Amino acid sequence: MDSGKVKFFLGEVLRNFSRNTGMQLTAIGTVAITIVLLGLFLFVRAALADAGNRLLDQIEISAYLQSDATAAQATAIGHFLARDPRIASAQFVPKKQGLAELRSRTRGSIDTALLTENPLPDKFRIKVREPEQVEAVAATVRRLAGVDNVVYGQKIVQRLLELGAVLRRVGIGLILAFVGVASIIISNTIRLTVFARRREIAIMQLVGATNTYIRLPFICEGLLDGIIGALAALGLLAVARAALWPRLLEALPWVQLTAMPVDARILAAQLILTGAAIGVLASWLSVGRYLRT
Amino acid sequence: MISLRGVSLVYPNGVRALDNVSLEIGKGDFVFLVGHSGTGKSSLLRLLYREATATAGEIVVDGIRVDRLRRNRVPALRRHLGVVFQDFKLLTDKTVWENVAFAMQVTGAHTRDVMRQVPRVLDLVGLSHKSRMYPNELSGGEQQRAAIARALVNNPKILLCDEPTGNLDPVNTTEITALLQRINLKGTTVVVATHNQAVVDRMRRRVVRLEDGRITTDEERGYYYLGLGQGQVLSG
Repeated sequence: MDSGKVKFFLGEVLRNFSRNTGMQLTAIGTVAITIVLLGLFLFVRAALADAGNRLLDQIEISAYLQSDATAAQATAIGHFLARDPRIASAQFVPKKQGLAELRSRTRGSIDTALLTENPLPDKFRIKVREPEQVEAVAATVRRLAGVDNVVYGQKIVQRLLELGAVLRRVGIGLILAFVGVASIIISNTIRLTVFARRREIAIMQLVGATNTYIRLPFICEGLLDGIIGALAALGLLAVARAALWPRLLEALPWVQLTAMPVDARILAAQLILTGAAIGVLASWLSVGRYLRT
Repeated sequence: MISLRGVSLVYPNGVRALDNVSLEIGKGDFVFLVGHSGTGKSSLLRLLYREATATAGEIVVDGIRVDRLRRNRVPALRRHLGVVFQDFKLLTDKTVWENVAFAMQVTGAHTRDVMRQVPRVLDLVGLSHKSRMYPNELSGGEQQRAAIARALVNNPKILLCDEPTGNLDPVNTTEITALLQRINLKGTTVVVATHNQAVVDRMRRRVVRLEDGRITTDEERGYYYLGLGQGQVLSG
């Protein structure tokens, strides 16, 4: 390895990088803002998906038996449910236990002592493996002999599933839009630095430097802009999380939020990679346009 | 070394810069291209280092078919050529040494070679003692010498000069002319486009005259004006 070559190259990159401080700061700032938005978005999306999954996990199907259902029917239903591969667990809850659970859940807000007889039917408490299958399982169970009524959080399930799908679709679009807009802004910024160095580029071309070689310092510059911008964004995000998280928990007590729905290291790596990609893409585009004269 | 056959160059705006030009330049030749501004001298040079592409005709430079050269092969061609301009085209934020070394460094030369070549060419052009100075600390003649050093640092077989003395006073012009002659004596083919009568008339070398994009005369030992030596005046 020729250390002089490396030194010359790094020297050129650093010289260019430090010469146009204002322009570099613009590029870095643009990357940082993009990455902050992207990070917030990814975080919120993960938090919502996480909260949604928890809600979905808790959803269970209650299959109430007809009051005149026989013990044989109940056993048959139990066997049937146990064989269905979509069902994670099915538990028979006799009416006595149902009443006891109701008592403990309402904790005295309803005076069950006033009841002269148990109004609850026997039921099966069913948990499905995949939230998407709740509806289908409920429909199957409803048709079984001896089943009177099937209850589950129909609306909640539907809404959550829809929300998840929309978020996934909108998310990909938004991310692409973020990266696109940021690339355009940064490519304009870098084009200014390319323009400021047009004499140098002309001389490089004159003495027979290859386009790849001419591009390389600009690509490195873009890469540096992207990575520095992403790191700044990560810092901002960390500060924002520390400051805002407790308040968010306070404001939304009914949403079960996890402190960190995603692995922070993976998120950080994703964001830094995105920043680097934006920087490289932008500089590649702007120098390419200049070299194709 | 350089061969043009039936070369025409029409710019996109419709201007016909060269019209059916044929020219042979041998190894080690020294050739002046003369003619008024806009007669195609610069265009001819630009074709040779592939800054422009011929509309028609065949161009061979050092064995390379320049008219058919693919874009990604252009750098290889230019490493065989040195080019010098009227406005020097030096980088003002680099010293003389750095400007000369730059031409090697950006073509991926080994540092060992850079350290050997740069002092050699700086010595050749007589700028060794000013290698640490910046271009705007130098006279015009010194700047042009630095530019020539840069053009020569990759050991080209051909040196192309487009009005090399156009910005220089007579003393510096004489210096640069003598330098070009010295370079030629070392075996480098030199092509100089100029409209400096004194330079051409003093040297008495081959003179190719261009008018309106065509070669009108080609003399082995010519003057700037057809058949007129220095000191003689065109009547009318």
